[in-house]
Amino acid sequence: MKRLLFIIVTLTLCIVHCQSSTAFTDANDLYAAGNYAEAASLYQQMLTEQPSAVVYYNLGNAYFKQGELSQAILAYERSLRLDPSNKDTRYNLRFAESRITDNITDNRAFFLSTFLTNVRNLMRERTWLWISLVTFVLFVATLLLFLLSAEPVVRKTGFSIAVITLVLSVFALVAAQSLHQRDTLREEAIITQGIVNAKASPDKSGTELFTLHEGTKVRITETLGEWCNVSVGNYQGWILLANLERI
Amino acid sequence: MKRFLLILTLCIVYGASCIVFADDVVFRAEAPSKVIAGKPFQLTYSVNQRARDLEAPDFNGFEFLAGPYTSQSSSTSFVNGRRTSSFSLTYTFTLMGLDAGTFTIGPATITADGQRYTSNGVRITVLPPDEEPQQTRSATSSGQSGTSGDSGTSATSKSAGSDIFVRAIVSKTNVYEQEALQLSYRLYVAGVDFAQMGNTVKLPECTGFLKQELELGDRQFELEHYNNRNYQAVTLVSYLLYPQHSGDIQIDPAQFEAILRVQTRAQARSIFDDFFGTYENVSRMLNAPAITVHVKDLPAGKPSSYSGGVGHFTLTPSISTTNIKANEAVTLTLNIQGAGNMKLLKTPSIDWPEGFEPYDPKVTNNYKMSGSGYSGSKTIEYLAIPREAGTYTIPSVAFSYFDISEGKYKTLTTPEYTLNVQRAAGQSGNAEEGAQTYTAVNKENIKELGTDIRYINTSEPTPDSPTHQLTGSPVHQFPGSPKVILLIDLVMLLLSFIIYLLHRKFARENADQTHVRYKRANKVAQKRLKAAQQLLSGDNQLFYAEIEKAAFSYVSDRLRIPTADLTKDNIAELLHQKGIADELIQQVNEVLSTAEFARYAPTTGAEKQALYDATANIINQLESQKI
Repeated sequence: MKRLLFIIVTLTLCIVHCQSSTAFTDANDLYAAGNYAEAASLYQQMLTEQPSAVVYYNLGNAYFKQGELSQAILAYERSLRLDPSNKDTRYNLRFAESRITDNITDNRAFFLSTFLTNVRNLMRERTWLWISLVTFVLFVATLLLFLLSAEPVVRKTGFSIAVITLVLSVFALVAAQSLHQRDTLREEAIITQGIVNAKASPDKSGTELFTLHEGTKVRITETLGEWCNVSVGNYQGWILLANLERI
Repeated sequence: MKRFLLILTLCIVYGASCIVFADDVVFRAEAPSKVIAGKPFQLTYSVNQRARDLEAPDFNGFEFLAGPYTSQSSSTSFVNGRRTSSFSLTYTFTLMGLDAGTFTIGPATITADGQRYTSNGVRITVLPPDEEPQQTRSATSSGQSGTSGDSGTSATSKSAGSDIFVRAIVSKTNVYEQEALQLSYRLYVAGVDFAQMGNTVKLPECTGFLKQELELGDRQFELEHYNNRNYQAVTLVSYLLYPQHSGDIQIDPAQFEAILRVQTRAQARSIFDDFFGTYENVSRMLNAPAITVHVKDLPAGKPSSYSGGVGHFTLTPSISTTNIKANEAVTLTLNIQGAGNMKLLKTPSIDWPEGFEPYDPKVTNNYKMSGSGYSGSKTIEYLAIPREAGTYTIPSVAFSYFDISEGKYKTLTTPEYTLNVQRAAGQSGNAEEGAQTYTAVNKENIKELGTDIRYINTSEPTPDSPTHQLTGSPVHQFPGSPKVILLIDLVMLLLSFIIYLLHRKFARENADQTHVRYKRANKVAQKRLKAAQQLLSGDNQLFYAEIEKAAFSYVSDRLRIPTADLTKDNIAELLHQKGIADELIQQVNEVLSTAEFARYAPTTGAEKQALYDATANIINQLESQKI
């Protein structure tokens, strides 16, 4: 009975897998033929079933070819969330971002924090967690070596390795926590409206502070009804939630 | 409506051109619209065909004096060989009004060509008869007639019998600023032979008003009962006035010249002169008095969107489309309808969202002037072109005016329109075109022709790729979250701490034991030696065992090495480390090996004594060395 069940499950999985891959190749063929709109909708459909970095990347390309800049950037960003190491995705994202009207310069950003953020974004949360775990095991082992050994040489090397592994482990854990927060809070968003005016208050009659263009990445700091407070570069203002989409 | 008008026009044209050939019977009743009570007038029925059996209606409210008199006329003419003939049959009744009021005479019927036809009814206003002129008349006529309150009169009357004057009439004397009022000058004639108006006319300037002359249609004298007298009256000139500021504004007096025909009283030169009479034109200046109009200020609290409009208006907004592509035009139309100072209405401005290119609004006026002011509609078309795709909201437009009938400001607003602007058809292609501008600098050998995004990834996505937060259904794989790792870290730290503690405790206990033994080493050794001394002459086996134990345990305790780990080599090495002379080490080794050896190979008593001494000696020596 168990065996039968196993066979059935395996077969179903196989069929599902085959089907989705057919859809994938179909969408790729549509893309190759220049039918970007239909390819995009097929990719989109696949993503509702199973998110995948590759499919997001292809979806981003299909949107970009249609001129849907904000949707393309969204798809690339999501692809990078799933697979941060993909160079093609990074390249295309940078390419798409180079076509955004807004030039965001944050004078307040400290170069080290930018650097650390970039390092953090190099890997997925899971990878950071594993790194943290392994380095911590090493730390504990070397710590014990340092504590229990009578040999001065062993104690010395044990101590230095313990310090290094502890720093690494803590950094990896902080990076993972930071990514975890980014993915659960989803504060980062992309402007989807052609032109948006940010207001001083969450109100249509509020004073208009600055203008944002499609594709610009903003950080949502607060939401209030259908409004949200976004910060971008040195600016901060309220815009309608409908005018942006969270990554 | 249009269709009806067309048909009517066609009918009239057709009927007029072939009135003879057609069998159209026209049967009409005619009577003056205003008559004076007690004076006879004529009511005629005319028909353009031979007819008979006229059945007159009841002349209710009138006294039937005479009739019907019948008269017939026919004419035939040839124009360019075409024969036209007309025929008319007229019945005339003479009637007289009895009481003042308005009466209706019903339709009459007649038989023509074997068919009954019905005429129109007529409506006649009967004015009261002239009263005997009184002395007070001259008093009122010279000034303003205060009793009526809404009009001023001026009369130049010579006698009760002949009277001619011009009245200045305003429709309202109490108005709001910008509220339209009508000013007209009306000539009243009774008992004099009026010829025509003279050329000298002095009209008021009407400062403080916006003046607009009203088109007067056919100017005809009509009967009017005024101040208990029936006059032939006609409106000379009429204006529409818009007060421009508040306060009492005076309209200056006006002056008109009238030319009267007066019979000369000169002696008749001949009998014919006397018979025909001689007339002379006499000019007379008629003065219309000044009038004061009280203009009220518009109440305070004007809305910010006040357009300057006074009257009553309705606003009909419309938008050409709410779903367009970028770079296509969208038109927002405001249709303002109503009556009031349409000419002075300000065009409301629309606050187009960012990304829209607005154009100047196009204003189409379609209003007419009437006694109460302008009425009609004003259409304002706003054209704008969105340049960027997205969803935009056109804010509502407010249009405020002052409603005279309600005496307060009213604000009309358009709804908010949500515009869905789609990407322009050509914009998708721009992705590649725009990319061309990003061509990078030429490197040594590689020539870049352009840049574009990289091609899609065609490798199959792995089916077990982890589900992400994006879908909202995260798969719980091992390092689920940083908290789990932190927990594991803490557990590991705790474990290592426990290990460390255990180890420390164990080491300490160990250290305590060896220390005690170290301290007691000499005492134990001396005890053993004493025991061995007693056994010098006793059992060999026991003696050697004691000696061996004494030596070994002493060394072991003093060197803090468990007895089991003791070998001759490590004893020598440890002693050497502690700075013991090689000679003594040699002796220790000898004693230990002798004791070990002698234990299993018993020897003589003399050897026993020597071993005892050697053992005691090395213990004493080591003790003195304080290892």
